[in-house]
Amino acid sequence: MVIVKRKELSLSERLYLPEIFRGMSMTFRAMFKPAVTRQYPEEPLPTDEVTRGQPRLATNDEDGSIRCVSCGLCEAACPAYAITIDGQDTDRNAITIAGDVTEKFIEREPKEFEIDMLRCILCGFCEEACPKDAIFMSDELELADFTRKDLIYGLDKLKRPVSTLRPRIDYIYKVNERWQASSSTR
Amino acid sequence: MDMLITIAVIVVKITCIYGGMIVIAALTTLAERKVSAWIQFRHGPNRVGPWGILQPLADGVKFIFKEELVPDSANKWMFRMAPALSAMPAMMGVAVIPFAAESPLYKDSGPLAIADLDIGVLYVLAFSGLSIYGIILGGWASNSKFSLLGAIRASAQMVSYELAMILSIMAIVVMSGSFNMTEIASLQAGPLWNWNIFSQPVAFMLFLIATFAETNRHPFDFAECEPELVGGFHTEYSSMRFALFFLGEYCAIFVMCCMTVVFFLGGFEVPFWEDAPWFIQVGAMVSKVVAFLFLFIWVRWTIPRFRFDQLMGLGWKVFLPVALVNLLITGGLVSAGIL
Amino acid sequence: MTKITLNGRELEVDASKPLIAACDTAGIDVPRYCYHPGLEPVGSCRICQVEVSEGGRPARVMAACRTQVTEGMVVNTEAAGAHDARRECLEFLLKNHPLDCPICDKAGECTLQDYSFQEQQAASRSTEPRATLEKRVDLGEVIMLDQERCILCTRCVRFQEEVTKKPELTNAGLASNSYITTFAGRPLTGNYQGNLADVCPVGALTLKPFRFQARVWNLEKSSSTCAECSRGCSISVEVLRRGDVKRIRPVFNPDVNQWWMCDTGRFSFPEVNDAERLTGGLIASGDDLMGVTTGEAIRHAAGVLASSSKTALLASPFLTVEEAAEVKVLGEAVGAELLFVSPDPNELKDDLLHTGDPCPNRNGLEQAGFKAISPADAATRVTGADAAILVGERILKLLAGNSLGSTKLVTLDTAACLASGVEACISIPFYVEKAGTWINVDGHIGRLTIARPIPASVQPLERSLVELTKSLSRAGASV
Repeated sequence: MVIVKRKELSLSERLYLPEIFRGMSMTFRAMFKPAVTRQYPEEPLPTDEVTRGQPRLATNDEDGSIRCVSCGLCEAACPAYAITIDGQDTDRNAITIAGDVTEKFIEREPKEFEIDMLRCILCGFCEEACPKDAIFMSDELELADFTRKDLIYGLDKLKRPVSTLRPRIDYIYKVNERWQASSSTR
Repeated sequence: MDMLITIAVIVVKITCIYGGMIVIAALTTLAERKVSAWIQFRHGPNRVGPWGILQPLADGVKFIFKEELVPDSANKWMFRMAPALSAMPAMMGVAVIPFAAESPLYKDSGPLAIADLDIGVLYVLAFSGLSIYGIILGGWASNSKFSLLGAIRASAQMVSYELAMILSIMAIVVMSGSFNMTEIASLQAGPLWNWNIFSQPVAFMLFLIATFAETNRHPFDFAECEPELVGGFHTEYSSMRFALFFLGEYCAIFVMCCMTVVFFLGGFEVPFWEDAPWFIQVGAMVSKVVAFLFLFIWVRWTIPRFRFDQLMGLGWKVFLPVALVNLLITGGLVSAGIL
Repeated sequence: MTKITLNGRELEVDASKPLIAACDTAGIDVPRYCYHPGLEPVGSCRICQVEVSEGGRPARVMAACRTQVTEGMVVNTEAAGAHDARRECLEFLLKNHPLDCPICDKAGECTLQDYSFQEQQAASRSTEPRATLEKRVDLGEVIMLDQERCILCTRCVRFQEEVTKKPELTNAGLASNSYITTFAGRPLTGNYQGNLADVCPVGALTLKPFRFQARVWNLEKSSSTCAECSRGCSISVEVLRRGDVKRIRPVFNPDVNQWWMCDTGRFSFPEVNDAERLTGGLIASGDDLMGVTTGEAIRHAAGVLASSSKTALLASPFLTVEEAAEVKVLGEAVGAELLFVSPDPNELKDDLLHTGDPCPNRNGLEQAGFKAISPADAATRVTGADAAILVGERILKLLAGNSLGSTKLVTLDTAACLASGVEACISIPFYVEKAGTWINVDGHIGRLTIARPIPASVQPLERSLVELTKSLSRAGASV
């Protein structure tokens, strides 16, 4: 058992009025301080590379081709079962990926790639699972529409040029490096 | 003919003063939200009109279109009447408040008040005491434990503080030798130190604090008291009847502020300027009242609510004795010819 | 029988089989790439190494697939030395194996992935560039070869040599430049090419019809029986997202099909992925067919049958034994002879699995008292009757090309009947959507299980038959 002693009040504190005036002077001063509230639609939230917004599929800047090979790892990693992918064969020519890796063939590409944004919890597991740097959490945070169907995003709504995702990609690489450094010391 | 003119003058006065009061009450609701926002580093309403100035209008429209619910077990008739009973006496009080020494409308029509009663002080105190009926009836008719508790608290609080409030005013009445509001105000004309606040500081403090309790405002809003009683006496109310309770509360605050100004701050009198033109006097009166309205809001967002037993203790064990002693001393000094 | 000690357990094992088979019998998992129980062991991959000591001599690490079981042998499959040897082996196998897992159809059921994970062998010490070989070699209709992914286990070569006896694939090139190829890149032939993708432990040989169709971990697998011939191979029906059957694979059944199945059966799934399938029922309305519920179609059919004086009944050879029992009750109710349509044997017959007889439950139906009848004779029976009941999957397809005259038809098939005399069409589930039993040509029982849900508007055939018989007796009583 702990006995906590009540604090002895001084005379001015017991009189109460001086304390009231102190409090009121404090609130009065507060009135002239700037507001911290954000006026949301006019002042959008600032986003940076750490922001985990809605997932987007990166397309190569050179030819607008999609990076995704529909491997299904994001689909498997997704804890909310928001992703559905159907693959198809493709014989697109080689392109440069992630700066230096060049592939002879992109054998496989998504026929359909759907993310149910109503289910998506923006956890970023898809981004982490992706072996091809094809899916990233973008800075897009606003999600509103009139029907549920319209909120199941297909390829047309998910594609985004990779250059617009560049800061996020660099950030992910930085984070992954740190993670790999700690795990390789086993 | 004279009769007709007198009636016309009174109608115009009523229209102007009541219209002005309703507008100020409405703007007070906005000011309440704005000031609270500033104190809490927020913006407050700013979507309806410039700086949210049309917010009270939007609120009014919203209240009118809201569904009105009457609880099944409520006493329907009293439940419906209570908001009016609460708002009406609060508004009635403003009838005897003088806004200028001379009415501009018609020669010799007396001071700019709807009724320049010789017992103005008693009238206004009577009506401020009546407004508790609305709250008690509303709370009782709702047939809800929260409402009933709120109503009981409100009545107990009102009785305790009305005593102290009236006794503190009696000191002023003793000093002025009149129950006429205009006369009390006029006696404070001349230099600033003629204001009663300087000769009766204790009465001023007692009266001011008692008005907070009388109008159910923080830190004494035990009739509503959200954390304990959900919404107190208006828990079951919705739509325009709910709004009426609030209109009544803000009108009561306005009247209380007017009383404070008339009794202690010279009313419509401008310091060092006797016989100022009527519009200057009205301006002086309104600006003093607005300052007190601001004080009400400011206090609400600064001081936390008391405990109910603290409130009653303060009322009976501090305010009442101090007010009595103050009256006694004032009476002694007046009869001794010092004041 | 020979006594050995396996991981501390004394066992009696078959001395004619290699050590790895003894481990399998004992339920001990030893990694393997080149070893396949249906093929001659060659010991080329070296992943199956275990620690063996014989006759009190010090333990040695040996390949389990090429080690003969001897009396008193002491085997430890989990010895540190064995794991080391497996890890070394994996490192070499992975040296040139491309990181294609994201696009590889084998990913998820690839033993290279599994054993790398199991043995914790992921890192490579090699700084050499990976060997680059042909990534897309088209080997005919069925198989696509990726030489880079190949680990040269030669299972495919041996399968063709030993099982189909048609050696078309071979191991070409030398040492690290070895690769699998056909002679001059000719396409593969035969009806058993699909098994090459099954025996391939990695993603080198993949099925073209399944190419990029689904990720294997998304497939829901149910054991069933192949419907394409009277052999009734045990199969696994693999369904994607409760919808289309994406793949059919053989399941080991020592009595029927061993590890194999023919391509006819393997690629028969478009039959059950029919997007145009009949759901609910159809009844004749003037010159048109009108869509109704199954129950309404059954009542209409009962009315038609009740007013018929001579009714023929033709069953499909795809009926299960259980359904056949209900058809029998119905046949007795309408007084019809029990017949099932048996098309002529086709040219697909071979000496391995395919019987050439496209009736998966011929045996079962015959045992149930049904008589086989050729499609032409069946059509004659139909035209000779007032009304005819055609019941079972694909019955309309089997009778297609034969005129059915204007006989009033009641059909219970997955498709709608468009013949002129049709009175009622009642939808039934496909064989992948029902549970039941087929009896194959040798008398072995083949079980069907529900691989995907039946559409809500389709009801099981047994239920439709029972309801039809009941409505018929009610309609007959009222006439």
